[in-house]
Amino acid sequence: MTWYDMHRCVYDFIRANERGRVDLFDVSTYDLTPAERAAFDQRDVAAFYELGLHGVLLNRYCRQVGYSRDAYREILQPFAVAEDRRGRWQS
Amino acid sequence: MAELVLAACSSHAPMMASARESAPVEQRDRFFGALAHLRAELAERRVTTTVILANEHFTNFFLESFPQVCIGVGERNMGPAEPWLGIEQGWVEGNPALGEHLTASLLGEGLDPAFSHRLDMDHGIMTVYQELDPQHRTRLVPIVQNCAVPPLMPLARSWDLGVALRHAIDSFPGDERVALIGAGGLSHWVGHPRVGDIDEEFDRWFLARLAAGETESLLDMTDDEIVLAGNGAHEIRSWVAVAAAAAPTPATVLAYEPVSSWITGMGVVEFA
Repeated sequence: MTWYDMHRCVYDFIRANERGRVDLFDVSTYDLTPAERAAFDQRDVAAFYELGLHGVLLNRYCRQVGYSRDAYREILQPFAVAEDRRGRWQS
Repeated sequence: MAELVLAACSSHAPMMASARESAPVEQRDRFFGALAHLRAELAERRVTTTVILANEHFTNFFLESFPQVCIGVGERNMGPAEPWLGIEQGWVEGNPALGEHLTASLLGEGLDPAFSHRLDMDHGIMTVYQELDPQHRTRLVPIVQNCAVPPLMPLARSWDLGVALRHAIDSFPGDERVALIGAGGLSHWVGHPRVGDIDEEFDRWFLARLAAGETESLLDMTDDEIVLAGNGAHEIRSWVAVAAAAAPTPATVLAYEPVSSWITGMGVVEFA
């Protein structure tokens, strides 16, 4: 039920998939909030983004569950925030 | 004493190996042409060991313990971690003596690198190493940097890391001929609504600073500013470290291509 637990769960899921051993992964052993568990069960990329899943993990998770980059970009578009700050390189 | 005979940087992206053909042929030719130039330099300068700095993408470390810098000191390391990358997986010979010397020397200069006797090398290192040394003739010392999980090493500290690496290479006994390579960046976003965007203005500005030797103007950039060019832009830390190791020699920009299909601004520079 912490930010860490959610990340550990997703990370272990990804690693199990990458090793072809998803049979050894058991989501019930992780201390997830109902929202985190729902995101996992529903493979809800948008929910994971809102819950603060790290971008590197989100990218790998999307690959594992079959979302292309274009597909997950579209899913995440509602969360795009207009940026009014400017970097020193911006003319 | 050992000698730093080549210092260079290249962007990395998994797709430069796994989906090479997805880039337009002109962009591909220019980017890989620049890497071919470095490959020829590596051979011509008789490099014996390649040291590559690249981001740690949760391949070796997770949130239980996350070093800012970890030096591979093992006799061998495994790569690439990703079986789908299109590069044959296998052991790559390390250089334990140099790796341990780098670690000890950095400790002596007030930096505190972690070390590992067995690193898994992902696309961050292997895509670039494979281009520069496809036969793996040079021994490889991998250095993974935290460019992804806050709090991150400030850019000024990355500069200090590069200076210390140069001192360490220069003080290594023997006749090792070393290439120091930064791999990562430039602008890109991952796991983000802007995945696929490239900030070409940032990339060209950053490369121009390196080419002009105006690195001072980079070092006070905060993470809040860098991230405007994407969460993947934090990987410029590897470039800053190599620029420091090569200083005062400025960079020569060999290529820059904003490759949409690889979701990354792809640059290649040589410090010469």
